Amino acid sequence: MIRWAIVALVVLAVLWAWLRAFAWFDPLALCRIHIDVELLEGDRGPIRAAIATVRREDPPAYRALCHWVDRIQEERQCDAGDPQADARVRRGAGAPLDPALVRARAAPGCYVRGSRVIVLRRPPEGGGDPALARERAEALKRLARYSQAFWIDRLR
Amino acid sequence: MTRRRAAVVGVAAVALLVLIARYFVWIDLGARCVIGIRPSLVGYDNTTVKRALETLRHGSPEDYRKVCAHVATINPNPSCGGFGGGCFWHAEGNRGRASIDVSTEHGLIWTLAILVHETCHAVQYHEGRPPRFDLEQECYAEDDRILRALVQFE
Repeated sequence: MIRWAIVALVVLAVLWAWLRAFAWFDPLALCRIHIDVELLEGDRGPIRAAIATVRREDPPAYRALCHWVDRIQEERQCDAGDPQADARVRRGAGAPLDPALVRARAAPGCYVRGSRVIVLRRPPEGGGDPALARERAEALKRLARYSQAFWIDRLR
Repeated sequence: MTRRRAAVVGVAAVALLVLIARYFVWIDLGARCVIGIRPSLVGYDNTTVKRALETLRHGSPEDYRKVCAHVATINPNPSCGGFGGGCFWHAEGNRGRASIDVSTEHGLIWTLAILVHETCHAVQYHEGRPPRFDLEQECYAEDDRILRALVQFE
């Protein structure tokens, strides 16, 4: 009997570690969001901190995040268009980038319509400052609502 | 074969089927869409390709239908497009539903864009247009369009 209890505990511990290792895991809210970061340099900690801020400050946004987002990916930037669509860029002639693309690249994150994925811009080297954490928390609140709006609109 | 050995073989077969279904094939019975995904040798996750297909299915059904109609196999390994790019070969083997190369290195957004770009080349090929550089303009415009339609940042 004791042996089976130990086995069950070990299995639970492994399961808990597995669910938490690559994700934000909040069993009380039935919330698990996978977090993808760069394999060698990435750090899930700041993203978890931003989600914790959302949970603390804005419960409805946190519920939206848990319900309508299943993955947060850290990427170099958000590309809301392909600069190479401009033949001058492909020829290397140099052309001013579309202002919308510039704004997208500078944005802290974006939502990909049709998915439950939020992309967060990778911070610059040593970018673990409170301003970035605040910016990311605000982005998560806003982008979770975009996902919610997309999926609710589809269900109508 | 003993009952124990049969059970082991059965479990192994089920595990193999699950592995194949999860990583190497996209099946959407409702849309009659089956696309093979080749094993990736560089460690990038084949599920990025599936996530891109799923995103396209919901975010742009018209583009998804084009992928299903013109593409039979997706190769996620870097090829002539290099890391971060994609490729379509004007080859006899691509006369029917084609094989396209789609690198997944830059994540979901670019995987989506490359998928639409290479599908555009498959459509051009199936429409009988010859390989010329000018055809790139149309396909860059296509991937630009899908990024502008699906990436919401403000």
